[in-house]
Amino acid sequence: MIVKKYIILIIITLVILFIHAASVERVPGDKAALGKLLFFDPILSRNRTISCASCHKPAYAFADTSAVSIGFKNRKGVRNTPSAMNVLLQKTFFWDGRAKTLEEQALAPIENPSEMNLPVEEALERLQKSKNYNTFFKKIFNDEPGRENLAEAIAAFERTLETSNSPFDNWKFSGDSNAVSAAVKKGFEIFNGKGKCSQCHFGADFTANEFRNIGLFNGKELNDSGRAVITGNAGDLGRFKTASLRNVSITGPYMHNGMFKTLKQVINFYNDPAKIIPNAINRDSLLAKPLGLTTIEKKNLESFLLALTDKRFAASKRKH
Amino acid sequence: MKIVFISFAIMAFYGFAVADKLTGRWESKPSDKGNVTGVLFREDNSFEGYVNKKPFVFGTYSFTPEDSVLTFTDNGCNGLRGIYKILFFSNSDSIRFVAVNDSCAERKQGMERLIIGRVKKK
Repeated sequence: MIVKKYIILIIITLVILFIHAASVERVPGDKAALGKLLFFDPILSRNRTISCASCHKPAYAFADTSAVSIGFKNRKGVRNTPSAMNVLLQKTFFWDGRAKTLEEQALAPIENPSEMNLPVEEALERLQKSKNYNTFFKKIFNDEPGRENLAEAIAAFERTLETSNSPFDNWKFSGDSNAVSAAVKKGFEIFNGKGKCSQCHFGADFTANEFRNIGLFNGKELNDSGRAVITGNAGDLGRFKTASLRNVSITGPYMHNGMFKTLKQVINFYNDPAKIIPNAINRDSLLAKPLGLTTIEKKNLESFLLALTDKRFAASKRKH
Repeated sequence: MKIVFISFAIMAFYGFAVADKLTGRWESKPSDKGNVTGVLFREDNSFEGYVNKKPFVFGTYSFTPEDSVLTFTDNGCNGLRGIYKILFFSNSDSIRFVAVNDSCAERKQGMERLIIGRVKKK
């Protein structure tokens, strides 16, 4: 009888210990691990329902699936949510490039009334009141949660979101000529040649990190001035940051306003921008004339773009 | 006759060995931000440049071993040709580039900063 009682006591103790262990958050090992916790935590929004990951969806290369994102109290954002992946080599952030570092960018959505709608000071109060976060920040930064280390942690996590294992990478870096189809190879030729894509989409992440007006500003229904609002320079009217094309097959809809739902629409636009937006203002001279792509050339170009999808996203296929 | 034949064989071997000095994969040490830049020079005179295993620049090159001059065009810089002298050091296992003629300013800036080491095959 006594032995039975001891066994029951031991089992109860083990159950309590197990429940306790499960409820205690594992201490993150470094800034990036802490940043990951924060990135996925809705504690950083006013009503505790929205996290960074609510709009930067992991399954879609940390982009969103709508033209503009829905934030606090279903408020609509102004511009398309860009992918938070492959940011390590980028030089500016946001479509208008107003942030020069990832740290500078990281806190803005928290405070934006249309996004997470929580002043950073209030977010920090929440983190400081959290026993777990206090422990984590003390361990990683030797300090309590603050503006700088909050931004640093989120940015550190975002810098880990690099992808370099697409069929294109396997072809070009690893030298596996069977990694991509003949259509992809032809599409790559068009990308660098007749399509003129590489003139703006040049670089390890297929962006030259410049600001270009591709003809999506007409001062009427397309009235987002883009970079000009930041620089005050009339020449920047309607210019937006050239987006990376890595994982582009799953980061639609496309452009700063998400107006194109499919890559086919994007390619058709570039093939003849004036046909789609006839009254554009300040369109870049690179797009002054139609490209004259044939149907098969457009298909090959699309095949190439699809080949820029990292293999981890094989399941996240979108209709194009 | 034998001497002539042997001389030609030695010259051919030497020529091949020197021309082969560049073929292969070369990479930089990680930058302060952890970025690794690399170039793969292929035997068919094509090359690829990459950063962090992400290929982005491709082209064709010629290399004259007598004066270590590299001439190339790539998919950036609107087809402008770059001509560089390659300096080999550390037992020819490291190289750096000195511009002889390159009017593509951004490329020139990148090339002149680059020091890369041979990636030995495992």
